[in-house]
Parts: sequence; C-alpha cells; structure tokens
Amino acid sequence: MNIRYEETQGRSLGFYALISGLGILILAALGAVYYMEHHGHYVTGMSNRIVWGIPHVFALFLIVAASGALNVASIASVFHKKMYKPLSRLSGLVALALLAGGLMVLVLDLGRPDRLIIAMTEYNFKSIFAWNIILYNGFFVIVAVYLWMMFERRMNKFSSKAGLVAFSWRLILTTGTGSIFGFLVARQAYDAVIMAPMFIIMSFAFGLAFFILILMASYKWTERPLGDAVVDRLGNLLGVFVAAVMYFVVVKHLGSLYLAENAGVENFILFDGGVYTQLFWYGQIILGSLIPMALIYHPALKSNRSTLGLASLLVLIGGVIQLYIIIIGGQAYPLEMFPGKEILEGYGGIATYTPSLPETILGVGGIAVALIAITFLVKILPFLPESLANEVADPHHKG
Amino acid sequence: MSKTLNRRDFIKTSSATTVGVATIASGITLTTFAANTSDNPVTSEKRWGMLIDTNKLTEANIDGMVSACQQENGWGSEVHSTGDQKPTWVKKLKVQDKATGKITSLPLMCQHCEEPPCVDVCPTNASMKREDGIVLVDKHLCIGCRYCMMACPYDARSFVHEELTDQREHMPRGKGTVESCTLCVHKVDNNETPACVASVNSDAVIFGDLYDANSNINQTLKKVQSAQIRADLDLNTGVRYSGI
Amino acid sequence: MYRLVVILMVLLVGNVFAERHADYSNLGEEASNIKASGKIFHTDGLDVIRKMHPEFLNHKRDKTHREGVRTKENSLKGCVNCHATKDKQTNQYHSINDQDQFCSTCHQKVSVSVDCFSCHRTTPRKGTK
Repeated sequence: MNIRYEETQGRSLGFYALISGLGILILAALGAVYYMEHHGHYVTGMSNRIVWGIPHVFALFLIVAASGALNVASIASVFHKKMYKPLSRLSGLVALALLAGGLMVLVLDLGRPDRLIIAMTEYNFKSIFAWNIILYNGFFVIVAVYLWMMFERRMNKFSSKAGLVAFSWRLILTTGTGSIFGFLVARQAYDAVIMAPMFIIMSFAFGLAFFILILMASYKWTERPLGDAVVDRLGNLLGVFVAAVMYFVVVKHLGSLYLAENAGVENFILFDGGVYTQLFWYGQIILGSLIPMALIYHPALKSNRSTLGLASLLVLIGGVIQLYIIIIGGQAYPLEMFPGKEILEGYGGIATYTPSLPETILGVGGIAVALIAITFLVKILPFLPESLANEVADPHHKG
Repeated sequence: MSKTLNRRDFIKTSSATTVGVATIASGITLTTFAANTSDNPVTSEKRWGMLIDTNKLTEANIDGMVSACQQENGWGSEVHSTGDQKPTWVKKLKVQDKATGKITSLPLMCQHCEEPPCVDVCPTNASMKREDGIVLVDKHLCIGCRYCMMACPYDARSFVHEELTDQREHMPRGKGTVESCTLCVHKVDNNETPACVASVNSDAVIFGDLYDANSNINQTLKKVQSAQIRADLDLNTGVRYSGI
Repeated sequence: MYRLVVILMVLLVGNVFAERHADYSNLGEEASNIKASGKIFHTDGLDVIRKMHPEFLNHKRDKTHREGVRTKENSLKGCVNCHATKDKQTNQYHSINDQDQFCSTCHQKVSVSVDCFSCHRTTPRKGTK
C-alpha cells in the first residue's frame, strides 16, 4: 500500500503566528549571545567552579534528544515494523533539527565562538570532544543521505541499509555524548562507564517525546487524520523508555553509593543537596517520570491525546531537569582533592550557580531553532503523510 | 640508564629513607642550570618540577607566593568578575587531617602532570605539554570550551570572564580563553626560577630539573618523603609536596 | 553575475596593493627613526614583510609557545615596540590596534580583523620586565 506524502500548506494565520513566535525567541537568543560575548562570561551565572551552565544543559538535552528522535525511523528500517514506516521522514527531520539547535547553543556558549574554524581544523584524537565534532558532522551527512534515499523513489531500495548505518551511528554518537562525562576521572559525580548507556536510553525517551509532540501538533494544526493506532503505539513505547531511564538512574545511583569515594556526592544529590535534591525527587522522578507513566498507562486515559501530550511535555521537562542535575549538580559538589582530609580554606564547599537570563534565553533559543526548522521544512518538502488514519497506518488495527 | 624518574621510584626511594629527614643541607634555590640558550627547542631530557615543603612554609610565605604570581603574570585585578569568576593561578589551601586534626597550609597551582587530563580532553590541542613537562594553554588555539577545567583534578585552571587590557608583555591573557600556572615558562626559558619560588627564597620551595641527578630537587626528593596530590590518579605530577 | 564577481575581485585586489607605496604617517616612533637614519630593518624588503607577516608571526608563535624558542626574530613584542606611537599631549602610547594606528591602517582597509590583541599587550613594555 502506498503512503502519500504532502507538504503542509503553511499559509494559515496559525503558521505565521508560530513562525513569528519562534522567530522572536531566536532573535532574543542572538541578542543574548551578543550581550554575553561582548561583555564576557562574567554577565552569566557561570564561574570557574561551574564552568558549564544552563546553555550546556539545553545543548546536551537537544543533542541527546536528536539521536533519539531518529529511533522511529530506525524501528521501521532496522526492525522492519511497517507501522513506523510512514513516520520515518519526519523522524529524520526532527533528529536533524534538534541536533542543529543543540549545536548552535553549544557553539554560541564557547568563550571564542569566532574560532569555530579551529575546532573544525585542529583535532586532538584523544579528546572525546573532538570525536563528538566528527560524530555530529557525520550524523548530519548520514541522516541527510538517509532522508534522500527515502524521498527519491529510485533510491528507496537502499533506504533500509542507510537506516542501519544511521542507527549504528546514532548509538555511537550518544555513547560519545555520554562519555564526555563518563571519562572525567577527576570528578566523582561523573566517573562511571554507565553514563554512556544511560545517555542512550535517555535519548530514546527524550527524542520520542519530542517526536510525539511534533507529530500530534502538526496533524492537529494541518487538520490531517491521525489515528489512535499510531498514537497509542508511540505512547506505549514512551512509557517503556521512561521506565528504562528510571532503571538506569537507580542502578547508577546505587552503584555509586556503594563506592565510599562517591558516597559524598551521592548523598549530596539524593539527600542533602538542597535545590539539587529537590529537583531530583520532585522534578526528575515525580514530575518527569512517575506522572508521565501514570498518564500513559492509566486505563481511563487510553488514547487520550491531551494527556499523552502532557506526558510527553513532562518527560521533556524532566529531561532538562535530569541534565541540570547531572551537569550543574555534578560540578557544584567540590572535587575530592585530599582523601582523608578536610579542606578548611581556599577551596571546597558547594559552588553556587544561578542561571542568568541571557544564558537561559540562549538555551531556549536552541529549541526554537529546531522547531522553526521543522515548521519550514515540512512546508517545503513532503515529510508528512497526508493521512495517518488507522486504516492507512495499520490495516490490521482493531479499534 | 633511564632518565625517567617515575612515581614508583619516588615511593621506593622515599620509603627506604627514614621518616623525618626533612632537613637538608643545601639552602640553595637558585641552582645554575645547564646552558639553555633559548634558541634551541626544549627537549624531554629535562623535566621541570617543584618540591614544596609545607612544614617549612609559613602562611605569609604562601601569601607572598600568590602575590608574586599576580605581580609577575598580571592576574587578580579583574574588575567585573566576582567570586569564583576571578582567575586564580595559585591559591592558599588549609587542610585538616580528619583523624589527627593536624592543619596544613599549602599553595595549590597547576601540578604539571606527566599525563595531564586537561591535555587529553582538549579538542583543539590548545591544552598542551611541552617536551620539558610544562603544561600550558596555547591561547591561539583555545576556543573556550572549558572541557579542560572539567577534567582537571586540581581546580587549577581559570576562564577569563571579561575583557582585559594592559597585560604583561610576556604573558598574553584574554577574554574567553582558559589559563593557568605556566611555571613562569618565560623565566624558565631564560634560566630563571618561577616568581613564586623566588619570592620564598629558601629551601621550602625548590625548583629544578627532576631528571638531573645533580639537581637540588632530584637529590632532595631522594632523601625526604614526598607526596603527589591525588596520587591515586597516577598522573605523575611535576609539583610535589612534603609534609602533607 | 560573472561580471560582477570580476569587478568585485578587481576592487579587492586593488585594495590590497593600494597601500603598497603609501607613506605611513603612523609608522611608529622607533620605526620612523630607523627609516630616517637610512637603515633598513626588514632586510628582505617591505613587500615580503607586508605580504608574509602573518606566516612569520604564526611560525614564530608556535616555535615560542610549543618549543620554548625565544629569539628576537619575528617577535610580536618587537613589532609593537617599534611601531607604536605616543600621544603628543598625554605622552602615553596608543594601542597599536587602535583606529589609524600601525596595524589598523591596512587591516581596516582590507577588512581583516587582527586577533593578536585580544590577548597580547598593545603598547610597548611595562610592568615587571
């Protein structure tokens, strides 16, 4: 059976409202960047103790989500699940757009963003960062080729092979992103190999949550049919992924608690870290994991689009909070420099960090860039099937 | 004949000596180094290092080291940066042993590791180690990603948070790049000792070539018990401490 | 379109060579003295130093920074010390990258930014050494 893809019209008032809303956010972000780069980082909340602030939280959140958003396409091409096939094009697009947004934030928060060319020409192959630069650039190329093979009829026969390459690449990419932290031997909060697989499973959840929201919004706003078959399936999958993230979080923290060396930082995050502890329990666990799972699996809410949308949004908010705890919380806790000794003066204590307005605007701007790219591209190219009604998406669906 | 003097050798030699042989005859800090014309590239035949004896060092000494470094390299007069945003190339730490309650003061700066984590993580090769063991930031290549600051176990690096003017001629520093103790590389290349070492001017802080069997630092390290901070990471630091 | 590109290129190239034989009013104090005395500092010829100074400086910077070679040749300190001008009233040096100072006259004209002085000192030496 053939799926017909069609560009969105993009002439409605809503379309222009969306574009201008996102445009304002992007302009604000660029203004914030100019302000921060002109003055230097002293206008931010960052310091020599908290060297990576809220822009890194958003950047890594978007990069992690980007690789996860490609999963929907991978399920179709690698695992041959027919129902996901019509969603593949959008999946690739969301992946590229989120990555572009994340990288923009990452680059614009550098001390010298004007020297980006150096990052592209000088490589230290021992550095995970340098590897990531290659992985990110490669991801763009591979997903672009993959999309082309899906769009171009003559190339369709190669698309599942390209899908396999893209899937492998994204696994390596997220491993690389997780390893940015996992290989920091000096920091008790990070030095754990489990960071890499945990980042992969986080990417599954965040990417899918983004995908569900974008899919539901675009079908609602373009008034195209979207059947429960697709939505329910994606919703269930999201629930599984959220549960898997929780499993990894539990294993990571239990494993760390077991090491006396890491007990300090674990106690800090889990029990007496003030804002970080509250963010962990109320934000990441309750708001970002338990409530979404309840919303997805509660029988009374089955096939309820509003609650699934809310669940996806909460997963995303929980994801930002989770990365905030990992990145900022992990830095706030002091380095263990003298085991068996207490530092009385000169260093130590919990570093304070308050995100400033400009850096927060920059982070949000990254999301806006991703969304505006998607909004434009679905208008220019036929990414979206004109119908995802039950009988189109899954002929065997029993409503 | 290996010229390398690694951590294990140190431990072997220091455990062979009795504890408490802290006094050493020589009070010379300004050793004469083999002629370095600074026309020739530095080589790995040398490895610069520092030995800090915290028992001999008074708090005033450490404060003097910090201000000598500021004076020499021009940091510390930033106007906009506040609190932890201010650069700190060297700082005075006070640590207390949890069991005995003994309080020790020490200066902490870049430890000039043989296996520096900051060099491993730097994406652009800006964070680098010279052949003679001095760890530096090549600010021409630094893009200000701050990954090295995440990787450093000693909190030794600072990010310049604001625009600077009127830098020292020999020590370029600028907004948006990372910096740290250079072991006064500009002085070392001219056969001088680092500013902090010169400010103490006693055998409490010894600077020299770790590999040179005739150097004061090499001979002293063979005699006294010394330690590296975070020795468990096996980074083989160039800065050693005795008395902690 | 093609014609437009050609015109643009000609204009650009013309700009680069426009200053070739121009007389610098702000050559810098020491450099002016050397010139007045009839001596030649850049013995390879002015064309060479004008065209190649970025390469010279980059090469020198890597030698100095990475290998500890601290010779006077092609040292940026030397450029600044020789080519800086003093303000007549205040008797203070202008920054060498200020508008219409030595570096800027050409660099402004060809719209090439100078990255040296985001870190390097812009006036002749001061301080401890």
